[in-house]
Amino acid sequence: MTTTRTFHGLNRRTFLSTGAAATLALAGRPAFANGKDVALQLSWLHSVQFGGSYIARERGYWAQNGLNVALNPGGPNAPVEPPVVAGNALVGISAADYTAAAVAQGAPFKIIGVAMQKNPFAIASLAANPVNSPKDLEGKSIGMALANMPVLQALCTLNDVDIDAIEVIPTQYDAAPLVAGQVDSLLCWATDLPVAMAIQGVEAVTMLMADHGYAVHSQTYIATEDSLANRRDDLVALMRGEVMGWNDYLADPAAAAALTVEMFPDAGLDLPTQVMQAERQVPLMFSDLTEAQGFGWFTEDTVAQNIETLALLDRNVTADLWDRSILEDVHAA
Amino acid sequence: MTTRALDRPGLTLPPFAAKTVGIVLLFILWEAAARAYAGSFILAGPLAVTAYLAQHADLLARATARTLTNAAWGFLWGNLAAIALAVIVILLPRMERLATAVSLLIFCLPLVATGPILRVLFGTGEAPQITLAALAVHYTTFLALMVGLRAVPQSWLDLVRTHGRGAGAQLVYVRTVASLPYLTAGLQIAAPAAILGAMIGEFTGAERGLGVLTIRAMRAMDVDATWAIATLAAALSIAAYGAFGWLGRRLTGTPPALLLTAPRPAPPRTLGRRVLGLAILIVTPLLLWYGVMEAFSLNPFFAKRPADILAFLVTGPEAAAHRAALLGAYAETLAFTLPGYAAGLALGALMACALLLAPGLGTTMLPVAVALRSIPIVTTAPLIVLALGRGAAGTIAIVAVMIFFPTLVACLQGLRQTPRQVVDIFDSYASGRWRLLILARIPAMLPAFFASARMAIPAAILAVTTAEWLATGKGIGALMALTASTSDYNMLWSAITLVALTAAATYAAVSALEDAVLRVYAAEQVAR
Repeated sequence: MTTTRTFHGLNRRTFLSTGAAATLALAGRPAFANGKDVALQLSWLHSVQFGGSYIARERGYWAQNGLNVALNPGGPNAPVEPPVVAGNALVGISAADYTAAAVAQGAPFKIIGVAMQKNPFAIASLAANPVNSPKDLEGKSIGMALANMPVLQALCTLNDVDIDAIEVIPTQYDAAPLVAGQVDSLLCWATDLPVAMAIQGVEAVTMLMADHGYAVHSQTYIATEDSLANRRDDLVALMRGEVMGWNDYLADPAAAAALTVEMFPDAGLDLPTQVMQAERQVPLMFSDLTEAQGFGWFTEDTVAQNIETLALLDRNVTADLWDRSILEDVHAA
Repeated sequence: MTTRALDRPGLTLPPFAAKTVGIVLLFILWEAAARAYAGSFILAGPLAVTAYLAQHADLLARATARTLTNAAWGFLWGNLAAIALAVIVILLPRMERLATAVSLLIFCLPLVATGPILRVLFGTGEAPQITLAALAVHYTTFLALMVGLRAVPQSWLDLVRTHGRGAGAQLVYVRTVASLPYLTAGLQIAAPAAILGAMIGEFTGAERGLGVLTIRAMRAMDVDATWAIATLAAALSIAAYGAFGWLGRRLTGTPPALLLTAPRPAPPRTLGRRVLGLAILIVTPLLLWYGVMEAFSLNPFFAKRPADILAFLVTGPEAAAHRAALLGAYAETLAFTLPGYAAGLALGALMACALLLAPGLGTTMLPVAVALRSIPIVTTAPLIVLALGRGAAGTIAIVAVMIFFPTLVACLQGLRQTPRQVVDIFDSYASGRWRLLILARIPAMLPAFFASARMAIPAAILAVTTAEWLATGKGIGALMALTASTSDYNMLWSAITLVALTAAATYAAVSALEDAVLRVYAAEQVAR
């Protein structure tokens, strides 16, 4: 056993000191004195995609409602649904298609608010060989994760496009294959890869799928039925802070971008990228509907359109998946 | 340069100059490749990387500190667990099959399954990253160490026994010392794996670290940043690899001993004992699976139990359709796994032999090998796909890149274990290097080679699933990646079960082959 002792002895001191540092770092998180601790599970790494939430935290909109909201980042291998089901997070940022799938698998979710009224999915292409309408996809190749085949299928069905005339090439979620000419187009979010290309000096043509009949609520707030029954006050307080934060965001998206970069110095965020992303997501999140009814709102009509598109994705849901009661409380006040 | 010149650099160039030339050539090649691919946003050269490192020193230093700390903790815990398990198995040899099986099965768990579970168990801190780093190292260290603990001359064990002492004393006085070179090789394999494990662990929802920055950089098409981070991870891994090599050389002063164990015929095992053994091997993992999930009250929405999988695949209403989907994907996966596995093993073993014949190659080849092991495959895959395409060649290359490194390190160490006396005999007859290699060194390498062949089994399957997720969009890998968006955790755990069963069966087959070979060439390795 001499060997193990040597290795252990060599390392122990350093590990003890680094361990202490880690503990200190954990203790050093921003803590608002009297708030009730809840968590909001984000769907991706920190970025201005969640700018309204950062404003809510920074300006104390949750603190004044008695909440201390932890904003837990997501990532490529961090699905939103498990921590919400398990109760680690009170609310998660999902999307109607993901939520519908989870509900089909037995998760007791409701959509209680809709941040992105228009789905951010888009077809990006280069100006020299543009995809301006779904019909233009015929005879072209598209790079995407094969997991998104149902999305492409739905777009083709909605617009009477022959999907067999499109060459699907499985790619990582990365704009490089388009720029390098490996593919003619990419299935991506309008707010990330096209922004990256623009920052790198490549102006892409972006065709938003929502403009061609693809109606799927995105960046939706989900909570469990149990929370809706037993933790209404917390849900209302959390959503109230969100609404206030996103209203401020609309007033000055660039300030939200600056705040994001400042709040997360370790995230490797670039201010021009964040500003451009902040501006490009405004038309997806704010509409005549939110102007009239308030941030996050949805109606019987928008829900019905969602149900139709979801059916094309093989997700059969009813309007019961949506629950507007929390938002009604928030906007009534 | 001829092999002779590389072999004996002293005759042509001073060693230091030869090393410098090799490294400079490597950097020139890298810069040239980057320039050839300029505009495709796939590779950045050393000049761009250096500029990025200089401009973002603060950010990268903080991220490196975070990731490296997690990697070190994971390295510590994973290796301690491996050492403890190896000691248990040496003292209680009957535990070997079970311990190995459980270790193998845990190694088979993919990130899509472990990520959410660890996050729910541990919350937002660093614990999931540390755990994933530990999981990335325990299995390889355990296997390497087991070989080492057995690489002892029978006469030494007998000597301890004649003093009236038992297995404990044998372990302390004989086996521990004998295992040092193998443990060192195990730790050298583990060091880059821990760093990579900590980085990949950050994909499960971490706040900061090199893995987080990698995701960000790739999405932003910031190719300078992507390769600056990759270079950092590679440099750290190379340093750790070198440090453990140095430590190993310091700790093991004695040349390898002549083992001289007589070939051992296979002992007869009754049918009853075989059945009992197999039953234990099947039941224990199932109990562990169920027990761990129940003990932590993991929500059955994402933590499926064995009974859920049975219902999903066998007894449930749509079981036939589920089986068809799973097996269809499985067939696609198997088609690439075997060639990738063979290619990775062959590449590792051949490279080890090449490095022995021409040690000068080591200066340039070993850093490249370590780098390939420590850079996340998400960074290198686009390059491989660009060079070799999305078909068989690209997939097999991705798999080979992910598994050849442990084989290389283990085989290199095995080749060096050739007893001095044997080498002396070959030298006194003035036989050539090739003859020495084939007749003496390769037989001495066999235990290490088979250990790496066993190490590479789960790694190869995981590598294929990764390649499928990144490049081909087919097979079990694509099926498992899909479950993240569809919450189809029944399918995910079914796929894991199938992958684990495949790994276990392949492991058993390789072990049987190994048993037959080692009974002749290294009988001390064959457990009684």
